[in-house]
Amino acid sequence: MEELKSKLAEILEVDDLDVTKKFEDYEEWDSLAVLSILAMLDADYNVAMKGKDITAFESIEAFCKDVISRQ
Amino acid sequence: MDFVFKNKRISGILTVLPKKAVKFEDEMANYSFSPAKCMKLKLAMGYNEHRIAEPGQCSSDFCKFGLRYLFDKHLLNKDDIDALLFVSQSGDYYMPPTSNLIQGHFGLKHDCLCMDINQGCAGFEVGLIQAFMLLEQPVIKRVVLMNADVLSPKVSAQDRNSKPLIGDAASITIVEKCEEETTIYANIKMDGTGAFALNIPAGGFRMPSTPETAVMVQDAAGNFRSKDNLVMQGDDVFNFVQREVPPMIEHLYEQSGVDRNEVDWYMFHQPNKFMLHKLADKLGIPHEKMPANIVENFGNASGVTVPTCISYNLGDQLVNGKMRLCMAGFGVGLTWSSIMVEMGNLSFNKIIEF
Repeated sequence: MEELKSKLAEILEVDDLDVTKKFEDYEEWDSLAVLSILAMLDADYNVAMKGKDITAFESIEAFCKDVISRQ
Repeated sequence: MDFVFKNKRISGILTVLPKKAVKFEDEMANYSFSPAKCMKLKLAMGYNEHRIAEPGQCSSDFCKFGLRYLFDKHLLNKDDIDALLFVSQSGDYYMPPTSNLIQGHFGLKHDCLCMDINQGCAGFEVGLIQAFMLLEQPVIKRVVLMNADVLSPKVSAQDRNSKPLIGDAASITIVEKCEEETTIYANIKMDGTGAFALNIPAGGFRMPSTPETAVMVQDAAGNFRSKDNLVMQGDDVFNFVQREVPPMIEHLYEQSGVDRNEVDWYMFHQPNKFMLHKLADKLGIPHEKMPANIVENFGNASGVTVPTCISYNLGDQLVNGKMRLCMAGFGVGLTWSSIMVEMGNLSFNKIIEF
């Protein structure tokens, strides 16, 4: 989980990721960030998701739990 | 679906590009992104400059220019063309076929099979497979494969998903029988359930273009398009490519008995640098063996990107020598296809401008 969080922090260009927030609360959240997350999920977690599914999570934490549960 | 072809070769590749080059920076004000984010997009995707046809120039015009060049330089004889294939999503008319128009334009012989094929990103592979199949007939000795697309007029200027990468181009590939013992391995798969991942909604018989289809609408990411415009579901396409292409290439190694290290070059369709690097990583192929420099220099002209990649990166090396190439196309359809071939001693392999 920590590894996934740090990868997300890198994509969103923040030092501390507040996982209670939603992705769209972050300034760097855009279509390029979505693609970066899709690529990271594919390469590192072998998980395929749709862009709009990522945005639909109520929090970043919920997203992380979902990814880990698919492992 | 696997194919094997014997005693056939590619003997020449000519790529025809528009003269007009447009810089990413000159278009980025149209996108709903800050300049800083645009530069980030440019860097990540490898956008820089793309070649765009002038208004009024059709894909067939690029083919005609290329064919004229080959006839004038005595690199191709009119009477030697037994079949003329036109693979494109931008034909001149609904009817007649554009291949017939080109045949008529040059007064080619009547014993010439003209065929239009509607395919995009995998259009080079689809066209080659069709050409190899035609060459199984005794009467067909030489096939001229034209890949051409001028789709830039269909892409919204305010669509940062597609506008920065679209390119217009054509290529002419000569495919013929040969005495030399050659074996070419190919495979192809299709999935029409994903057909709308890349499409132009209006303008066909299902939804004719009207003033309503021309209305520009903003999507969730801030891009503006109309139903007359090309639309790409970027995430669906990315997932499709990463899911289907690596197993296809692994299968091609098995099918052909060629070890991955024996492949000199991976000449893949060029969606953008980002996707190609991810593909190379997943396949364990060094980036330098899979050129990803076509979008940044010329743009993505669907089925023309593989021949462009071969002409641009290998040029005279394929005239003077021989190499083993693994080619692959993937996209609209959905269609994905790959070919393992030893290519070389070409009569020509170059880029010209129109």
